[in-house]
Amino acid sequence: MPYFKDADEVYEFIGQLFADLAEDDDLGPKFRKANTIVQYQYTNPESQITVKMLDGEEGQVDLGESELEPEVVMSMEADTAHRFWLGKVNVTVALARGQMKAKGPVAKILKLVPLVKPVFPRYREMLEAKDRNDLLEA
Amino acid sequence: MEAGSQLGVRQISGFKDFYQSVNQTRVIAGRDLLSSTGFEMSKEGARRVFVVTDQVIRETGLVDRVVAGVEDGGLEVAGVFDDVPQDSSTDVCDRCGEEAKAAGADSFLAVGGGSVMDTAKIADSLFTHGGTAAESEGFYLMPRAGDSLAPLPIAPLVCIPTTCGTGSEVSMGAVVKDPERKVKLEIADFPLFPRLAILDPESTRTLPPRIAAATGMDAMTHAIEGYVSLECNPHQDGRSLVALRLIRDNLERAVQTPEDDDARGQMLIAASLAITISLGSTHSMSHPCGARFGVPHGVANAINLPHVIRFNAEGGSDIADRYRDINELFGLETGGSDAEAGDALATHVSSMVERLGLPSRLSEVGVPEVGIPLLVEGAMGDGLTLLNPREPTEQDYEELFRRAM
Repeated sequence: MPYFKDADEVYEFIGQLFADLAEDDDLGPKFRKANTIVQYQYTNPESQITVKMLDGEEGQVDLGESELEPEVVMSMEADTAHRFWLGKVNVTVALARGQMKAKGPVAKILKLVPLVKPVFPRYREMLEAKDRNDLLEA
Repeated sequence: MEAGSQLGVRQISGFKDFYQSVNQTRVIAGRDLLSSTGFEMSKEGARRVFVVTDQVIRETGLVDRVVAGVEDGGLEVAGVFDDVPQDSSTDVCDRCGEEAKAAGADSFLAVGGGSVMDTAKIADSLFTHGGTAAESEGFYLMPRAGDSLAPLPIAPLVCIPTTCGTGSEVSMGAVVKDPERKVKLEIADFPLFPRLAILDPESTRTLPPRIAAATGMDAMTHAIEGYVSLECNPHQDGRSLVALRLIRDNLERAVQTPEDDDARGQMLIAASLAITISLGSTHSMSHPCGARFGVPHGVANAINLPHVIRFNAEGGSDIADRYRDINELFGLETGGSDAEAGDALATHVSSMVERLGLPSRLSEVGVPEVGIPLLVEGAMGDGLTLLNPREPTEQDYEELFRRAM
């Protein structure tokens, strides 16, 4: 059974995390140095998050439909995304195993992974604050 | 436990949730092989060969001997591209691919070091599939057959390495400079495995001792980092340890006595065994040293490796135990604390670097202290940081670069 029951739950947790990162005074500018637009396409449940990280521009996170044109498209099960934010997924292995699929210059995304590691505890705290301890055991 | 449920957990020892070991390159090693280059290339389907090399190698006469070997096998040489610089770049790859097309070639033969072989790989891909080198960046992103996951092949590529270090002749990776973005651009995918590598010490005979030393240290760094990488695995362990034994017994001989064909031949084999794309922070640090300050890759690795070993060894006993295996091979102290195990190996590497006559500090090779923030940014943004067994922070990299200064 998937961790999230519907797209709204994906947006409530993972979507909110992206939105927080985009506005983060420390991490936001570092992400925008990637100078790209990434779209995360999730299955089980079907959902989509598009993140604009362009140098010199405001960050933007679209939940669901988006008019942004992504340079990189990452597709995976929403469970894999959830476990990534818990710090339980090795991205290079997940790509090799096909648990994550990437279209576009994936190196741009790999370069961001070390930067997001400090965010993992924040995701856990968010789940705890929303009384979703059931999701911590993923 | 669900399969793959611990993918994010460091798993250095024991049966792994997942690993992948791929070797697709036919290797022939021995003496007097250059004269049969054409015979061997014809087995790979080549008819009109495009030779990629650099001007320094061409001037040694080696390319003429290889060309004679190609023609002796009944093949034609469509053209020779000898314009590869020491640190090749995307524009050179683009030009090389276009010239091969204009020459009506159907296959590539790289005669040179890492820069030449990586240029030939990318040029071959552009020759076969079109596009530009700058657009090709990424892992597993080369064209596929329709919607399938099967990658489309590139034209037959054969490599004759003239240095003993890069291992590019048997790898699916290629690294070149992107002069516009001032970064090293990394490309890796199965079609980039050369069809054939010809390891003949005759091809390294004119290699200057200093370059033999630097490239040999590159091979040693591959072997050590591959052995302790987050993605280390038993297949790579075997290759790394045999490579290290060959390096232990032959690197200094090969540098001090260039005419020692046995030592140079064994170093060619060591380099081809050591190569892996699962490396770590030494390479993450060395890539921006090359991209920003032009430090030769092997020299940067030789300088940075001891500092990364010390840093990693303090990251946990599972990591330090891997270094202890290497210490045993080199006859070093294997007991003591984790830090002491790392220090023993790091000290040994540093003394080798000194005996080989290589610089031991980044400040000796033109890297200014004010460049550290740029280097830290480059190292943090390098994909290989993800594979280092101990996770470095920006502050860690800053400290590592300061120590390497």
